[in-house]
Amino acid sequence: MSIDSLPQWLQQCIAIFRRTRLDHELDAELSAHLEFAMEENLERGMSAEEARRQALIRIGGMEQARERHRQARALQVLDTFFQDLRYAVRGVLKNPAFTAAAVVTLALGIGVNASIFSMVSGFILQRPPGHNPDRVVVISSINPVGGMFADVNGVSAPNYLGWSRATDFYQDIAAAAEDGGRNTSLTWQGQTIALQSSAVTPEYFNVLQVSPLLGRVFANGDDQPGRDHIVILSHQLWDREFGSDPSIIGRVVRLDREDYTVAGVMPESFRLMGFTPQLWTPLVLTSADQTAAARRNRFLDIYARLKPGITLPQVRTEMAALALRTEQVFPDTEKGWGVSVRMLPEFLIYVFHIRNALIVIMTVVGFILLIACANVAGLLLARAGGRRKEIAIRMSLGAGRLRIARQLLTEGLTIAFLGGGIGLLLAYWGIKFLRAKMQFNPAVSAVQLSLDWNVLSFALGISVLSAVLCSLAPALTASKTDVNFSLKDETRAASAGRSHTRLRSTLVTAEIAMALLLMIGTGLLLQGLLREQRQDLGIQKDHLLTAGVVLDHGRYPDPAQQRRFVKELLPRVQQLPGAEGVAAVSTLPATGASHVSFVIQGQPEPPIDKRPHAVDFVVTQDYFHTAGIPLLRGRTFTAQDNDSAPGVVLVNQKFVNQYFNGQDPLGKEVRIDSGGDGGQEASSSSPSSSSSWSRIIGVVANVKFYSEDSRYEPHVYEPFLQRPVSSFSLMIRTNSDPDAFAPALRKTVSEADAELPLIRVGSMASVLEQQGSGDILFVQMLGAFALLALVLAAIGVYGLIAYSVGQRTHEIAIRVALGARGVDVRRMVLRQGLKMAGIGAAIGLIAAVPLPKVFSSMFDELNTSSPQTFVLVLVLILLVAMLATYIPARRASRIDPMRALRSE
Amino acid sequence: MGESKLDLLQGTLDLMVLQTLAVMGALHGYGIARRIEQVSGNEVLLNQGTIYASLVRLQQRRWISAEWGTSSNNRKAKFYSITKKGRKRLVEDAEYWQRLSSVMGRVLGNQEEGGQ
Repeated sequence: MSIDSLPQWLQQCIAIFRRTRLDHELDAELSAHLEFAMEENLERGMSAEEARRQALIRIGGMEQARERHRQARALQVLDTFFQDLRYAVRGVLKNPAFTAAAVVTLALGIGVNASIFSMVSGFILQRPPGHNPDRVVVISSINPVGGMFADVNGVSAPNYLGWSRATDFYQDIAAAAEDGGRNTSLTWQGQTIALQSSAVTPEYFNVLQVSPLLGRVFANGDDQPGRDHIVILSHQLWDREFGSDPSIIGRVVRLDREDYTVAGVMPESFRLMGFTPQLWTPLVLTSADQTAAARRNRFLDIYARLKPGITLPQVRTEMAALALRTEQVFPDTEKGWGVSVRMLPEFLIYVFHIRNALIVIMTVVGFILLIACANVAGLLLARAGGRRKEIAIRMSLGAGRLRIARQLLTEGLTIAFLGGGIGLLLAYWGIKFLRAKMQFNPAVSAVQLSLDWNVLSFALGISVLSAVLCSLAPALTASKTDVNFSLKDETRAASAGRSHTRLRSTLVTAEIAMALLLMIGTGLLLQGLLREQRQDLGIQKDHLLTAGVVLDHGRYPDPAQQRRFVKELLPRVQQLPGAEGVAAVSTLPATGASHVSFVIQGQPEPPIDKRPHAVDFVVTQDYFHTAGIPLLRGRTFTAQDNDSAPGVVLVNQKFVNQYFNGQDPLGKEVRIDSGGDGGQEASSSSPSSSSSWSRIIGVVANVKFYSEDSRYEPHVYEPFLQRPVSSFSLMIRTNSDPDAFAPALRKTVSEADAELPLIRVGSMASVLEQQGSGDILFVQMLGAFALLALVLAAIGVYGLIAYSVGQRTHEIAIRVALGARGVDVRRMVLRQGLKMAGIGAAIGLIAAVPLPKVFSSMFDELNTSSPQTFVLVLVLILLVAMLATYIPARRASRIDPMRALRSE
Repeated sequence: MGESKLDLLQGTLDLMVLQTLAVMGALHGYGIARRIEQVSGNEVLLNQGTIYASLVRLQQRRWISAEWGTSSNNRKAKFYSITKKGRKRLVEDAEYWQRLSSVMGRVLGNQEEGGQ
């Protein structure tokens, strides 16, 4: 036989599965043995009976011989396990309803957890591309003004150059201009499209240590003027626009109307989370980038690979010292600005801003798993209650308490793995669903969610964990079984089930507490998010079409051309059928425009970092009408407010309240500092008016600074004709579906300039939705999970009450026979359910008290204080508990005492 | 009655089985048990049933092989015989036991002298 040639340990494993056959064979051997012995004894003259008796004595007990044989031939640990498993599977098959309930409950819990964990795997556990990304740091500035992401502000070119020269901690250091996605037009085969691009110093790819798929990465000297017209394509762009043509290397493409040679194509895996450039060009830093004015233009992310042996704290200390020195030398521009250093993986996760949302949602699904486990534990306990006699018999036959506990654990494992398997199936669909939902912006859809090894191991881990959690209670109770008591107890477990019931009550109470905590947490976040979604932004966002325009420096080198373009384009768009208002605006409202500092005439002039701030918009004259922002006082801009007229600005009501104490500001003058904090325009196209005085000619209503923020900020509006910008958005109010207007807009723009692509053409509503960073999805998921938790808890309550009513049939029948009415019985059962619900709810409420505080520290833009949520959820959960109790209570009140007592 | 009989040390039964098979050729379980009892002059306390645990262990180590056959009085029985590997093992183990018993004899002899 082939098995005989295997190593002993393998034979021992295999023997476990050949148990029946091997036992059979041994029995044949033993009976032959017995007959040989009897024959010999008969020959010696013994009687037949004596011969058999002596033979058996000499063998020393058939059963012992068998047991020794089994011990010798098979690995004990495994053998016991498989015995338990066989037993467990038998139990599972014998009781399909019970099994289905337990498995489905666990499958839900595990499936939901595995699905959500795919997000953790995709966003947090994914390592950035390149060799050893843990040795790469990202250096950012810290904006003293504060605000969102103030500590990952870009670094100015002079600081990048100065700092990289001042320290020798770095093997390689590079700068990338990619903030907010620079837009570049690509013309290929007569088509012009807008792309996000990144300009990087030649060392960039060396710092990350990534190799190209085709061609080469940038090399030293590629940033020299004249040699800098080369481009590296992303895999996606190469695939989409160039049909994955390998001969693209060396070909010429047109970028922003200039010829660039394709130097390389990056592999598909090269993707820094949150950054979605489609192509890279060399970043050329010239002498203009070393001027004092360039210090205000903080547009660079700095990446550096640490030399071996250099640690993060060392770098932080060094950089802090450098920043301090810079601040002392250039107080005009650097006052208050600090520096922050992060490891690349940490930086990407931080900037992506998803960690807190993931923590919340993982906690939520964690609770769901706990509730599911509590339910299954309850089921197992109920069953263990019915199996007390069986267990007692096994124990009296010599099974140890540990062995019994181990067997119950094996049962738990069987159920948990069945649940885990189905849960993975659910997770497969769940992840598919998530992937489809997580497409709301390019950075999010670039992150791949899949059922990867992380998710699989996680699912395995939580399956084992739930097996332990589910079988812990039954195993503990069972190992305390009193054999004598259980065997003698002939009655229908009326009183003996009590310790089980008590444990189950505790479990269900905990379930209610957890469900309540979950629902309050979800309710608070929901309230906060909905409040944010529904808040009045200050504009009429319906029927608005928007499109981004970036006027390249090749064709529109100075303000005059930019002005002419806008002056010619807008009237043509206005004449299109369906257009009710047309405007250009430097940044779309409620999407987080940049701040400027300014001085008010007649007031003392503080140093630059102490000056008042306002959100800055450059708008064409029809902007307020188009966006639907009411004018409160004075007038809006006209065609006469041009570059030859005196400077004028409009401000919003918040500006008046904050800087003029609500006094009439009309006629007052302000002087806006140019390039306040490195907006996209900075020094290159700064018009003369920005450094001179402008008169406030009107006050408009407030608009939210950012759609997800509840604050109002002071706004200042400058006329486009006086301060043209090269990057702006078009905004068209239409009288029907704004998206239907898009083709006409594209056509008109391409008539004006065939090589000028429109960026992200879409309705204002869709712009705001994309900006919503998945809040809607977050709310939907939280809502669904809270509901699931509630349903599971309700099932828990129902299951326990129904079971205990079943157990107490006898007792209730006696009560009824003695004169209790249906109402009394109902009330008695209801009281039992509501007592649990009440205690659970109280515990949950206490645990939920600090939630608003926790959330406000995690999501600082969210207002989550909402006492009514507490009340609402409490009432809801008590109602559900009451309902879950009422059904079995009604059944109890209908018990027919005669039949119930007779069936005893 | 069993007081004077020897309790078997761990591993000694395996060695006895190997030796028996090496000397006698193919034997069934009962035959092996009886042979060991006879050779030991009925000095060994042997629960005959334990022989089967030893047999399965030796078989898994491939020191002996087994085959179903018919006995002299026409009964079906499993016959065991020693393998090449088993003979090699037997030589090693026998040498080991011989050395151990002579050492034990010396040690115990010395102690008796010292005690006097």
